[in-house]
Amino acid sequence: MGLSFALSVSAQDYDFGDVSKEELQETFNSIDSSAHACYLYKYRRTHIEYNQATGFQLITEVHDRVKIYDKEGLDFATKALRLYKDGSDEESLVGLKGYTYNLENDKITEDKLKKDGVFKTELSRYRNEKKFTMPNVKTGSIIEYKYQINSPFITKVDEFVFQHDIPVKTLVAIFETPEYFNFKVNTKGYIPISPKKSVKSGKILFTDKTRSSSVYGAQTKFSNSNINFKKNVDEFNLSDVPALKAEPYVNSIDNYRSSLNYELSFTRFPNAATKNYSTTWEDVIKTIYRSSSFGDELDKTSYFKDDIDALIGTTSDPIKRAGMIYQFVKSKIKWNGYYGYYVNDGVKKAYKDHVGNVAEINLMLTAMLNYAGVKAYPVLVSTRQNGIPLFPTREGYNYVITYVKENGQGFLLDATSQYCSANVLPYRVLNWQGRVITEHGNSQLLDLYPKELSMSSVSMMVDIDDEGMLTGVLRDFKTNHKALSYRINYNESNKDEFLEQLENKYKGIEISDFEVKNENDLSKPVIESYKFVKESQADIIGDKMYFSPLFFFKVDENPFKLNRREYPVDFGYPSETAYRININIPEGYKIEELPESGVFALPDNLGTFKYNVSGIGSKIQVLISTKINSPIISPLYYDDLKMYFSQLVEKEAEQIVLTKV
Amino acid sequence: MRSRYIINVFFFLFSLLVFTQQELYTSYTISDSLSANANAVIRSNDMRVSLKSSSEMHVVYKRIITVLNKQGNDAVDAYVYYDNNIKIKELQAIVYNALGVQIKKIKKSDFKDVSAVSGGTLYSDSRVKYLEYTPIAYPYTVEFTTEIVNENTAFIRPFRPIDGYNVSAENSTYSIIYPPNLEIRTKEKNFELFNLEKTKNSNEISYKVKNLAALESEMYGPTFFDISPMVLVAATQFSLEGVESTAENWNDFGKWMYKDLIMGTDDLPQSTILKVQELVKNETTDLGKAKKIYQYVQDKTRYISVQVGIGGWKPFNTSEVDRLGYGDCKALSNYTMALLKAVGVKSNYVVLYAGQSQRSFEKDFAAMMGNHAILNIPMEDEDVWLECTNQKVPFGFIGNFTDDRDVLVVTPEGGKIVHTKKYEPEESVQHIQGSYDISNEGYIQAKVKLKSKGIQYNSKYSLESETERELDKHYKNQWGYINSISINEIHVENNKETIEFMEEVSFQAPNYSKIVADRMLLPVNAFNRNEHIPDRYRNRKFSLKVKRGFTDLDEVEIKLPSNYKLEALPKNYNIENKFGHYKAEVVVKDESTLIYKREFVVKDGEFPKEDYKKFRDFHKAVARYDNSKIALIKNQPN
Repeated sequence: MGLSFALSVSAQDYDFGDVSKEELQETFNSIDSSAHACYLYKYRRTHIEYNQATGFQLITEVHDRVKIYDKEGLDFATKALRLYKDGSDEESLVGLKGYTYNLENDKITEDKLKKDGVFKTELSRYRNEKKFTMPNVKTGSIIEYKYQINSPFITKVDEFVFQHDIPVKTLVAIFETPEYFNFKVNTKGYIPISPKKSVKSGKILFTDKTRSSSVYGAQTKFSNSNINFKKNVDEFNLSDVPALKAEPYVNSIDNYRSSLNYELSFTRFPNAATKNYSTTWEDVIKTIYRSSSFGDELDKTSYFKDDIDALIGTTSDPIKRAGMIYQFVKSKIKWNGYYGYYVNDGVKKAYKDHVGNVAEINLMLTAMLNYAGVKAYPVLVSTRQNGIPLFPTREGYNYVITYVKENGQGFLLDATSQYCSANVLPYRVLNWQGRVITEHGNSQLLDLYPKELSMSSVSMMVDIDDEGMLTGVLRDFKTNHKALSYRINYNESNKDEFLEQLENKYKGIEISDFEVKNENDLSKPVIESYKFVKESQADIIGDKMYFSPLFFFKVDENPFKLNRREYPVDFGYPSETAYRININIPEGYKIEELPESGVFALPDNLGTFKYNVSGIGSKIQVLISTKINSPIISPLYYDDLKMYFSQLVEKEAEQIVLTKV
Repeated sequence: MRSRYIINVFFFLFSLLVFTQQELYTSYTISDSLSANANAVIRSNDMRVSLKSSSEMHVVYKRIITVLNKQGNDAVDAYVYYDNNIKIKELQAIVYNALGVQIKKIKKSDFKDVSAVSGGTLYSDSRVKYLEYTPIAYPYTVEFTTEIVNENTAFIRPFRPIDGYNVSAENSTYSIIYPPNLEIRTKEKNFELFNLEKTKNSNEISYKVKNLAALESEMYGPTFFDISPMVLVAATQFSLEGVESTAENWNDFGKWMYKDLIMGTDDLPQSTILKVQELVKNETTDLGKAKKIYQYVQDKTRYISVQVGIGGWKPFNTSEVDRLGYGDCKALSNYTMALLKAVGVKSNYVVLYAGQSQRSFEKDFAAMMGNHAILNIPMEDEDVWLECTNQKVPFGFIGNFTDDRDVLVVTPEGGKIVHTKKYEPEESVQHIQGSYDISNEGYIQAKVKLKSKGIQYNSKYSLESETERELDKHYKNQWGYINSISINEIHVENNKETIEFMEEVSFQAPNYSKIVADRMLLPVNAFNRNEHIPDRYRNRKFSLKVKRGFTDLDEVEIKLPSNYKLEALPKNYNIENKFGHYKAEVVVKDESTLIYKREFVVKDGEFPKEDYKKFRDFHKAVARYDNSKIALIKNQPN
């Protein structure tokens, strides 16, 4: 009873054009006073209809009513809609109608959206864009629009989004499909969502035309036939949905946006066999695997045969062969910046042109490895930008890498970046789990976050003089991901600029004898070394000198400033930074006070900070290390993490005191 | 302020010259002087502009560029804009490897073709075809060839041998051929260091320049347009969207703009005229009326940029803006002008370059320029400038978006170059008044009031509409050097009448003052530490330019913890030089109270490059003194 009552009320309340004075008089949102605008009503109904001329069509009707509270909210008066096309099939926008309502002298005025406010742009071969911007919108206005999108792409149902950048007062979403279509539902986000399900009846009318000739002349007859079927209806009614607010150190805020996705899993038409799209991960993987843009590309070998035979001819060890082939692909084929697990121009063309997308490069790598007798498998990956693949969908993944399993060891390879190595994958790939596709399209999950620590070990010998000037030499060993990002940065930049940037990073340090080793030898840590001078590194007050033992390496700010956090903190990889610093104090001074040594740790071995300062005569030795053992930390530990960094900043700020002898 | 005025449409066009010199395609023939600091080297750049008449311009362009590293990819610049008036006749790119062997050929149909809608623009009918190429090895060379025909001749591509930082040029040529009935004007800029060869005869002007080393961007340097060599070119008789015109100086140019672009667009409905007349009826001065009108525009309109056909150059009709409540910078400026006229206040349409870099119009060379429009109200003492695309900025405040530069003021009598308002360091003041207490544990409890004016107001006024959460973040970042800071109270006030922004904030943080044995080290400057040190250059190339100056005045009362007494104060400090001055002193008020006074003034101006190091030293000294600490010592128990 409650539901039907609520439904009829909302239907009455939000008739198109039925905007009330109360709504127009509202000056702020009662549940979120910081909101710039609010969807008073957000309606969407998506359904599949049959038309004899065009076949099945996906129809989406939208009706939004938006209240603008302040000038920032004016951005919501413009809307852009993406319309897809593929050959002659394209989505179309019909029935766009819009009004802006204002209150003037206690009267409601309306301005109609006219043609001059609607714009169409061809973005690419596959995408058009329609934009519209509402007339006469100001602070306090209400805008309302409705439109319908007709789409021939019935397998592509746009995500139902329940949480927006502004709050929603009343949200109604309906998805209606004939019984022949079976959709899989995936939800994400923090708001509990469940549809009210019901069944309606539907009818398709067919008109048949028959022509017959007789002695009286030709005659055309029309006959009608009906097909009755059931429609499954999901309806969502939500009210007062809070806005989604971005937080720092989140891989993608969309991972946390409350939304729901319908993906076509199978169709079953009368008198026809069931046609599967995807239901389980196994189905998804099989669909991908069987596609000619994936599986077939793995089977091709003729294009590289001769080159690979020549390359690996002298060695039989599979691990060595893997190394050679990986190196070969990295140096031969350059990545064009495009993602995807399906090839674009195909592996053969990529090989010939020395350029390819992610799939072309890594499927080629996998194929070559298999050809050379190395057990290698493609791994589907969702990049950090793409979010976490929580539910079995083909869109869940957008990238593919290679997994090699030989002699009981397994390692991951990505040949799109020449500075990557075994298990050291590009940062974009470090996102939860990938799916390894084994023989015959079976699959299993594989953790993509690196296990091994990425190190930076800094050793430094410095002299500090009685004016606080620091002179020294420094050497920094970097491994794994720290080495990877250093190599990309260093090798791909102008060397003079690199040096200037380094100097400016440490505000006013002056560097000489700068040297980098192993910048291209991935089997060794990259080593950076230089001499430096930096002024005013101590406070000299009276006959005392004060300075922090970490000097300019000191962490000055806690990266975690917010009081509360909803989402995990994602570091990407586990890491350790260690400093070993030997300090010679100026002549005529002696050590008066050294900071106490100490250790503190995050719970559950998530991280540790070790701090040790010791001194004898005119020499001080400093050993400090910070370690984060987990690439990702749950928000449950946020307070601990914030506290840990606060303690770390505190501890690193502690001072050594020297006194004049 | 995200406005855009699409007057500077890019014209990329050009060359049928066939180079036979194979060495242009190999990467090994580049001299050291050209590869120094370069990410890419333009081997040959040849542009041939040919005016058939004032309404038909052919441009043939050929550019051979060798890319040395990844950063150089952007310099390939193989793209061409087109629209209804521009037809692409030829478009091709050929890629060569380091040895000069052709490895790829890209035909016209293989160029990517997209809408040229840039950020902030809702719609534009301009499109662009561009080359998408993934280099397979460095260095590589691209030969890019285009030919276009343009019916608009109001803009003629300038000769720019280098068009970006870190790109050098080996050979660059430019020519313009024109019929006898057309007059061509040119202006050569920044060629002092190069040997620019120019030949001119009755129907052709041509230029040639060789071996231009790469320029590097420097902090506090002049803008690129003030240092890069270029020849500006304009035809005195030109055509825009089918309309023929003649202009040879700014006065003519302004006349033409007024006549063809502005005049006739004012068709405000009578009802609106009556409404605004009613609105200002109690105002007795022009200034008072203008303020009312400006407020009216800010409340009624929003910025939406739509660039269609002549709409790219001409403002919408004022009745359109009146009905729709939106428009781009041209439309909104023109609309405001019409409303002002309706209440008897005279104002002028202004075309200029917007942006922080303060790019000026060329005083002595009239041609289509600019990317933005604002309004000018001539006044007895000081002209008022109005930014009409921003709904929040106070009347007459133009900020760093359009300040201190030469602009074109369009009047019915003709155009003139006028300089916009400059914010002097004396008026760009931030005044800090604050106090803080330190506890025996080193805890700080602080309360501070900041008042900002002039150009310092510019970076503040948007705080007015921030949410509490954003403000909390803002202040935590502003005082990021105070660990574990928590912000207690925030109160901001935007006085649009006096153009002054006031902030009152109180905060607290543990361990602000560091305890070392029986001493305490107290960083004296809690509210306004200058941590900025200009970048170091081993070999500074360009003069030092400080675009905008400012004044910071701080006065802070410090309460010392009861268990400690003063041991040592930082020395009072006073530096004064041509870049400004800095003064910091701590005065003992009584045994538990200190007064900290700080004055930091940076003047704007241009100085020779030799001064850069001194300027940097000045900032280093300020950063050092801003970090001064007071030493306190524990009271000995009696």
